[in-house]
Amino acid sequence: MAGPGDRLRTGSGLLFIPMKFHQSKGPGEAVFSLVLVLFSAAAFWQSYGISGFGGLTSAGVFPMLASAAMLISASVVLSRAVRSRLSEGDMAPAENPGDAPGGVRPGKVFTRDLVIVAALVAGYVAAMPYIGFVPASALFLFAAFSYLWRKGWLVSLAVTVLSVTVIYVVFRLGFQVVLPGGTWLRGVF
Amino acid sequence: MEMLSNLSLSWLDPWLMFLTAAGTLAGIYVGAIPGLSVTMATSILISFTFKWPVNDALALIAGVFVGGVYGGARTAILLNIPGAPSAVATAIEGYPMALRGEAGQAIGLTTVMSVLGGLIGILALAVSAPAIANFALMFQSRDYLLLGLIGILLVGALSGESFAKGVFAGALGVLIGMVGLDPMTAEQRLTFGSVQLMGGIPYIAAMIGFFGVAEALVQLHNLSLPPIRQKIGSVIPGLADIRRYLGLALRSSGIGTIIGALPGTGGDIAALLAYDHAKRSTKNPDVPFGKGAKEGLVAPETANNAAVGGAFIPMLTLGIPGDAVTAVIIGALFIHGLKPGPLLLIETPHLFWFIVGNLTLANLFLLIFGLSGIRVFTKIVECPKAILIPLIIVLSAVGTYAIQNNPVHITWMLGFGIAGYFMKVFGFQVGPVILGVILGPMLDSNYRRTMIGARHDIGEFLWNFVSNPITLVLTVSFLLLLVSQTPLWQRWVRDR
Repeated sequence: MAGPGDRLRTGSGLLFIPMKFHQSKGPGEAVFSLVLVLFSAAAFWQSYGISGFGGLTSAGVFPMLASAAMLISASVVLSRAVRSRLSEGDMAPAENPGDAPGGVRPGKVFTRDLVIVAALVAGYVAAMPYIGFVPASALFLFAAFSYLWRKGWLVSLAVTVLSVTVIYVVFRLGFQVVLPGGTWLRGVF
Repeated sequence: MEMLSNLSLSWLDPWLMFLTAAGTLAGIYVGAIPGLSVTMATSILISFTFKWPVNDALALIAGVFVGGVYGGARTAILLNIPGAPSAVATAIEGYPMALRGEAGQAIGLTTVMSVLGGLIGILALAVSAPAIANFALMFQSRDYLLLGLIGILLVGALSGESFAKGVFAGALGVLIGMVGLDPMTAEQRLTFGSVQLMGGIPYIAAMIGFFGVAEALVQLHNLSLPPIRQKIGSVIPGLADIRRYLGLALRSSGIGTIIGALPGTGGDIAALLAYDHAKRSTKNPDVPFGKGAKEGLVAPETANNAAVGGAFIPMLTLGIPGDAVTAVIIGALFIHGLKPGPLLLIETPHLFWFIVGNLTLANLFLLIFGLSGIRVFTKIVECPKAILIPLIIVLSAVGTYAIQNNPVHITWMLGFGIAGYFMKVFGFQVGPVILGVILGPMLDSNYRRTMIGARHDIGEFLWNFVSNPITLVLTVSFLLLLVSQTPLWQRWVRDR
């Protein structure tokens, strides 16, 4: 059990990430930091392309400053990740379920659930311009409920119909929000 | 007189009152359900309410904010799962109380103390904001530049795992905010020739992606947290308890308000600092800390609600958000055509007094809802993640599309969601990103104004940062913040 002291410097965003995790996140952290370093370098190159080192108030100065800050900080993160991997070997610390209400287990970045749900979301977003929001959402919700909940297709279908109806009534009729239409079923949804 | 009528606007108008009540109730649930956050709810809400009159939208959003900060305590006490980061300390003391069958007492005490803290934060807002706004009229562009940088760095320094990660997240946000046509020279910045990107990356898409979809994906790791049932008992706290902890509650409110008012730091940090204060200042608790000490429950809960009022102070007076939620609310004000900053209070004082009155009303509803309906509540929190996660994703899509009816924005939102997932998993907070997106253009224009004022002379530019007392204070704070994060300094502090 981590003491309160361990928890003192935790999330302002939304997620509570216990301190334990940053000791080692498996091989992924070094790779991810490397991606960030490369991304920052590319961003710096692009920012340089805006107006070069032409002047102190040109359009490109601030983007260059921001991407330089990204490059430096990502490099620090990378060097620490590499160093901690070298010193700790390949062992991730033992997991302590009581400590991690909302955290992610080390070494489990690409879980099967994540890959499948991300694929479903990508399909959902890709299909929306063609079949429209309502059918796309219904298909997505049905597929996601069936996969994640596993209570049988009839239950998933019922919850899907209920959810889509509520969303339509609340947002389209209540909030008067325009929902994305589809090119295939124009005029229907 | 006009001030009073604006102050009481939401108390007298039934529709505004209803919106505040609905927002507060919704906020309590959103805050309580782990995986749903106040920031997520406000960013999605803003996209639905942007066509509403500004008062209606603010009433709903203020309710969600106040309710949400409090709601996190419920699940912390009943299930040992902080519904929001600001309830982490609450779980440490609240859950052991629940295990002893004192959940009702714990909830009652947190409710009353939350409301007390909330009211003190609002009082501080009402008293100090006009003075700060007047003072801020003396601020020059370099001061805003420093304030913005301090805000982003503070979030990075205090909230994440490491300062480097915080700096990266903040700088990434600033860079995202730079995309589009340069407002001064109309040059294209990082647009890759795309017409879509010339108008900039829509910050609502970034907010919903980073706070909605990313969080939903992270929650996939916690699909099977078993629900635990607790006996609740009476929730009306005893007067003796309230009187006994009043001193601590007042001190914690002070901590909460000040921490909330610092640009970039919000309720979660306030709660942890207040918890720490309670631990240090309570010599002989009836129950040891960590085993259900009421002091450790009162302090963080008062502080995080006091931080709500505090967080509004820099947002309304300087245009610099006090925390992630106010960063989102500032986005809402932009959408409604308002420009938060010292002139907001001077040109539209009615809006300011409306917000103050409305936050007070939301706290009243908090007291009412907080002390009732707990049994129904525990049922709703048990809603399976397998249903919640897909629904959050669908709502995120609707919200992103609603602002400009542009399907491309949904793709953006999804991209930010996936990027945010990886950032969160590897310990990068996404709060600084949003702060960076909001503050980036402001930082850029203030930097350039300062540099132009210094006639492009770096020596004079730097001299400006130490030659004026206000700027000097800010420069010193900025440098101290940077130095305090270096390994050398931390080693020095540890050795002492």
